[in-house]
Amino acid sequence: MIAVINGTAWMAATTEILHYFSMFILVGSMVIVDLRVLGLVARRQDAAQLAERLFPWIWISLALNFLSGFLMFAGSAVSYYRNDVFYDKIGIIVLAIVANIFVQQKVRKWDQLPAVPAWAKFIAVVSIGLWIGAIIAGVEVPALTGVG
Amino acid sequence: MDSSLVMFGHWLQNRPYALAIAGSDWAYPFVQATHFTGLSIWVGTNVAVDLNLMGVGKKSSPPLQLSDALFIWNWIGFAIAVTGGFLLFSVSAETYLTNMAFLTKLGLLIPLGLGLHIVVQQKAPAWEKASQTPSVAKFAGFAELLLWFSVATAAVLIPYVG
Repeated sequence: MIAVINGTAWMAATTEILHYFSMFILVGSMVIVDLRVLGLVARRQDAAQLAERLFPWIWISLALNFLSGFLMFAGSAVSYYRNDVFYDKIGIIVLAIVANIFVQQKVRKWDQLPAVPAWAKFIAVVSIGLWIGAIIAGVEVPALTGVG
Repeated sequence: MDSSLVMFGHWLQNRPYALAIAGSDWAYPFVQATHFTGLSIWVGTNVAVDLNLMGVGKKSSPPLQLSDALFIWNWIGFAIAVTGGFLLFSVSAETYLTNMAFLTKLGLLIPLGLGLHIVVQQKAPAWEKASQTPSVAKFAGFAELLLWFSVATAAVLIPYVG
């Protein structure tokens, strides 16, 4: 099945489209939450309210992103396996997801404080940095190895 | 294909900055990453507003006024995406200008998406405040979502048709 998907041009293209578009939604909505924690967007909205509204879309797009990413990976697993940047990318993404789960669980508490604590803002900055890092590592995977 | 367009592409891709990006191992993927980061912010903020207008997830939490709140980051994302995109285009402008998927993306889908986006952005604050979201708002949100998805589709298809 994997070979069929990656060997059929329109299926491979569809997988790629899903991977990119879900990535845009995933990273975009996570960055919105991070920027809200930093106080840079939507200051009139509750951070917790905004986060609660965006989180279902984050998890849906993450699921789509993972699924399409796995199909792309499975098509040339051996090349990815030998690709150091691919490991960096996966590592960065795992860290970024952990950072965002943390934000997701704490954001309600931060909202009730008179000011968002400095370390919370630090985590938000780290999270944005990790997502940009994941994209940089992601584009290096095909650039350096010709797969994906 | 219009030959003056191709000549322009030829001229553009031989500018020193375009040759520098093409000739460097790391510059091209770096520019690509910039383009994708800008796109993530642009598409992410657009989709957040579109889904909000469509009422997705409305039952679980009160409606939000997102359009105005995300306005600045929306256009910052757009500016980053356009800058990165122009640099990527410059590297092989001649090829892009004869590629049907690219021409469809830039000549048709992006102008449509941008036009609709500006209309939605102007109407959204009123739509978001209404106690009952008008059906035209839901349709506009859905149409915009679909248009940006088509833009991404055309972009992915560029190497396939070329």
